[in-house]
Amino acid sequence: MTETWRVVDVEYPDDPFMNLAVEEAIPRAVGEGASPPTIRFWHNTNTIVLGCFQSAALEVNFDECRQIGTDVVRRFTGGGAVYHDAGNLNYAISLKKGHALVPGNDLQEVFRRLSQGGVQGLRDLGLNAEFQPINDIAVDGKKVSGAAGSIKWGTVFHHGCILVTSDLSILGRVLNVPKAKLADRHVPSVQKRVTTIRDELHRNISTKEVRDSIVQGIETSYNVRLEKGTLTGREMSLAKELYQWKYNRDSWNLEGRSESGEVGPIRTH
Amino acid sequence: MDQTLLAADYKGPGGKLLRIRLTEDQGQIRKVKITGDFFLIPEESLPKLEKMLEDTPIREKELRLLVDRFFRGTEAQALGITPNDLVNAILAAKEEAL
Repeated sequence: MTETWRVVDVEYPDDPFMNLAVEEAIPRAVGEGASPPTIRFWHNTNTIVLGCFQSAALEVNFDECRQIGTDVVRRFTGGGAVYHDAGNLNYAISLKKGHALVPGNDLQEVFRRLSQGGVQGLRDLGLNAEFQPINDIAVDGKKVSGAAGSIKWGTVFHHGCILVTSDLSILGRVLNVPKAKLADRHVPSVQKRVTTIRDELHRNISTKEVRDSIVQGIETSYNVRLEKGTLTGREMSLAKELYQWKYNRDSWNLEGRSESGEVGPIRTH
Repeated sequence: MDQTLLAADYKGPGGKLLRIRLTEDQGQIRKVKITGDFFLIPEESLPKLEKMLEDTPIREKELRLLVDRFFRGTEAQALGITPNDLVNAILAAKEEAL
């Protein structure tokens, strides 16, 4: 029997803090058994999203952020900082731990397996897309998407952002790219080894068109049926709590400390 | 009190970036902050490692024993960094100060 997954397009483009609160609420609810396997699509506008282990002070160029009006928010997963504008499509997959697709406890396998739907969606658009370990999707060797994820709260969680029409020039302004990061790469600037779907397709394309193609890609790759849904009451109340105690606070976003042990990892700096 | 602040950004081949900021006192780590774009699950285990590293001599053998003990004891899973990278990154901070 084909499994049915829920797809939610719940987003707060002008409130990145609420976006990240929802991002945590869904996998928590899935792990509780209160929500079905879920994929979420969403957008931020003008936001840096830091990995949970990153130092805001080291990674972020706050002067540029002030000038451009960029918000800084931290996610609960590891990995590197990304810049989100409206031309960037975010997706997140939450499956109950032990799901047949990713039965083990291997994070690299989670990235490989759960990137496949996105890879297929991009191929269906005519792109030569492939998963590139550790956590990227590349088109002809250039990165168009980065993923992060975790296995926690009884959930296998994978999320990623896809550069559809993003302005890549902002990235290098709002983030400090350390020299060591570039040491083993052949091309010197972030811009040259990263690309957008629009640039690779040589045509204008909306994030909606990419989203629809990924929905198809997920259905074929995993043999599941996606059904449009909304957030449950439990998810909304979790999201509000997470917003209040974690994602709307500098202590989390800038210092990586959450105020309440109830709702997130405690990081003491 | 003769404390020195040490720093290193270290990246193993094909791996993720480790950014070490530590306070050294008489050859030992007093306090260390490990940041970067790596993955480690459970995420909450990183402060445990930082705590374990306190008062450890900044020498390869001691650091290696401790990092190995951390991974065995917590069953933490790292991706993009290896135990070896963690040791090398801390040693690099010491090197850079010389």
